Amino acid sequence: MRMSEERREAGIRAKDEMKIDSRSIELCVRCGTCRSVCPAFEVLGWESRNTRGRIMVAKALREGLAPDTNVLDSLNTCTTCGICAAKCPAGANPPMIVQSARKGLVSQGIMTEAQAGFREKVAGSGNTFGELGDRLGWLSDPGAIKEKADSVYFVGCLDSYRYPEVAAKTFEILRRFGVALLPDEQCCGSPLIRTGSDAGELIDKNLRQIRDMGAKTVITGCAGCLSALKKEYPPEFDVVSVPEFLAGHLAELELRRLDLTVTYHDPCHLGRGSGIYDPPREVIRAICDLVEMKANRENARCCGGGGGVRAGYPDLSLDIARRRLLDVPDGVDAIVSCCPLCIRNLRDSGAGIEVIDLIDLVAMAIDPA
Amino acid sequence: MDIIEKLRDIVGERASAAPAERLCYSSDASMVSGTPDYVVRPLSTAEVSDVVGLAAAEGVPVTARGAGTGLAGGAVAVRGGIVLDLSGMNRILEMDLANLAVVVEPGVVQARLNETLKPHGFFFPPDPGSAAFCTIGGLIANNGSGMRSVKYGTTRNYVLDLEVVLADGSVVRTGSRTLKAAAGYDLTRLFIGSEGTLGVITGAVLRVMPLPKARRLVIASFSSAEEAGQAVAATFAAGIVPSACEILDRTTVAVLRRCDPSLRLPDGDVLLFEVDGSEGAVAEAAAEIAAVCSPTASSVMTASGEKEMEEIWAARRLVGAAVSRLDPTKSRIYVGEDVGVPIKEIPALIREVAEISERFRLPAMKYGHIGDGNLHVALFIDVLDAREWARLEGAADAIHRAAIRLGGTVSSEHGIGAARAEYMAEQLGEGAISVMRAIKRALDPKGIMNPGKLGLDDDYGPPSGGEG
Repeated sequence: MRMSEERREAGIRAKDEMKIDSRSIELCVRCGTCRSVCPAFEVLGWESRNTRGRIMVAKALREGLAPDTNVLDSLNTCTTCGICAAKCPAGANPPMIVQSARKGLVSQGIMTEAQAGFREKVAGSGNTFGELGDRLGWLSDPGAIKEKADSVYFVGCLDSYRYPEVAAKTFEILRRFGVALLPDEQCCGSPLIRTGSDAGELIDKNLRQIRDMGAKTVITGCAGCLSALKKEYPPEFDVVSVPEFLAGHLAELELRRLDLTVTYHDPCHLGRGSGIYDPPREVIRAICDLVEMKANRENARCCGGGGGVRAGYPDLSLDIARRRLLDVPDGVDAIVSCCPLCIRNLRDSGAGIEVIDLIDLVAMAIDPA
Repeated sequence: MDIIEKLRDIVGERASAAPAERLCYSSDASMVSGTPDYVVRPLSTAEVSDVVGLAAAEGVPVTARGAGTGLAGGAVAVRGGIVLDLSGMNRILEMDLANLAVVVEPGVVQARLNETLKPHGFFFPPDPGSAAFCTIGGLIANNGSGMRSVKYGTTRNYVLDLEVVLADGSVVRTGSRTLKAAAGYDLTRLFIGSEGTLGVITGAVLRVMPLPKARRLVIASFSSAEEAGQAVAATFAAGIVPSACEILDRTTVAVLRRCDPSLRLPDGDVLLFEVDGSEGAVAEAAAEIAAVCSPTASSVMTASGEKEMEEIWAARRLVGAAVSRLDPTKSRIYVGEDVGVPIKEIPALIREVAEISERFRLPAMKYGHIGDGNLHVALFIDVLDAREWARLEGAADAIHRAAIRLGGTVSSEHGIGAARAEYMAEQLGEGAISVMRAIKRALDPKGIMNPGKLGLDDDYGPPSGGEG
């Protein structure tokens, strides 16, 4: 835990700075529904590591609970997957409460090493990895950068730096439809917002470029970016996920049928977060057979990667991913998903089966046999 | 050595005295609160035995807890001490279906047990609204039941044998695997509903039932809840035993529709009758129910099939907490929520509750297992308004006293805990209370087992520990 010295001396001003809406906290009647679905709790077992407990912690912070390591771990082991919100009979929105509590603490300089790490890396590099290399290093044709375009492809940190081939494949398809790139894309801000930090500066930088290009539509292949672009940016432009774009252009893509059977993992921020369930399935079914995972659509289980959990609690993160893999049906050739963070986490947990991006599947179906 | 260190000697890192953890275990789904000094998550009977043995030696209270979904504070450490979170002991140890039995640890979640039994054609009938997350241990300790108790009875009808850690840490078994036994005091039933005040349940042999071949749902609506209550009495008088018989008053119906606009529920105060059995038998029973209800009902219909039936039941199970969907400034507070009366007194109870709701100016949803006389009254208030809290308390008290006056009970299935302890003597009479106190003292002479519950141990036991 990090806490500046003066903060230590001044004591915690939790009550003043924990700006969490009382109404949203009081909606929770502690019925325990969320306890049965929280993926972090399933692994960790402590009441403080489930949704109900986190809401109690958030409430107590406003009333003066000292934010020790255990409090930070309670709040920061939430992947913000939102399955609790989907199941809550009272209509509470626990991920928002968790995020507000994180923000209240971070604003006082109280955060985990991982939270501080995100801030430092993003501040120094504009991406979550602290990478200083060219964000468009994957782009073979710099001539593709245009000054004006109706639509832009928002690549995201993960595909820019970790999965450049996915970025290249995606852009290869999108540019056919006149989609351009931002000249100096920055992290969308999602990792900072989820972990309680302010992302205003990043949002401003991206927004200025989107405005300068005159773009009316922003297309992204990352569920985290999608969620941030939709909910944290002013509603000046349409935000479209890559699977929605692909599903809307199936006829033009001229996909050939592949002799494969795959399953599909719903990324939390694409599915529950943005209600996008059918488009990726339409694209998959246009190419090959799809067998659903045991828990799917609004019931889909988290990959364990989100909410800063992968960075802050790597063992927990991979444990959650391994449990998600138990939902994979027998006899499928690959797991397809639409979020690089999910893909990365499922791969790293030792899937024992290929985990690919939807765009990989589409690229295979476009390539001549 | 500190107690926390001694606990860590027994369970390792699965013991905590961290403030955040103690806070998170300081309540269940009721308004009762009490902060434990320690939280322990045992994974075996041996660990539970060692922890209880330590508690006995140190004179520290022990409160057993499952999923913490209780509505009366039964799992809340009102006098501090150790909370034993048994939800990690969640293995189904044996499926002995030839003997109609399963052997489980206490932390098994009800729905998981039934998912496991379903492919074998069996089920465990007690079916509370919290089935998706409550534990079998909690169901046993509170004699929980639910929607199907009108035909299948309560948890006590499905427990053959228990493994219990007593107050000195010793381990006993209370019964046998036989479907019946005539061998002395019925210790199994003594521990069922004892709310952890006599020992900690660490294992159970449960009796299971064959799944019925068919189920059908009849939905009848009435112009008043009282009229609906009269239709229930008439149905029973006609010799029909439904597998579930629920009432949803018009406010409850509005909440359910808000949660799921596609639900096909009629206007008015609604009765749901479920019948189960063979295809022929359910068709006949459904027709009989429709015939009994038709003269007074404004509409009678049958659910289209299994899918619609499941949707209605799923919505009904969670309606308790859903009132905020109707008005986000209101929260459902679980007080006065579990009264029960003899079946023929149901119209009178409904009348009294309506009068109380009006007198205290508090809106109320009335729903529940009307077929067994159990009415769940959901009072909802703006929790940020202190005056509404005061009226809430008065209304809950009035509801409890009305149930007792009508020859009923302050709790049908949620338990007494600390929330309803004050009504024990009034409901049971001093004679029965004295017998219970004698049993409590005999089995728990130091008063360390879940003290402060059931109104049995106000005069002895360890002093309040921690912030409890």
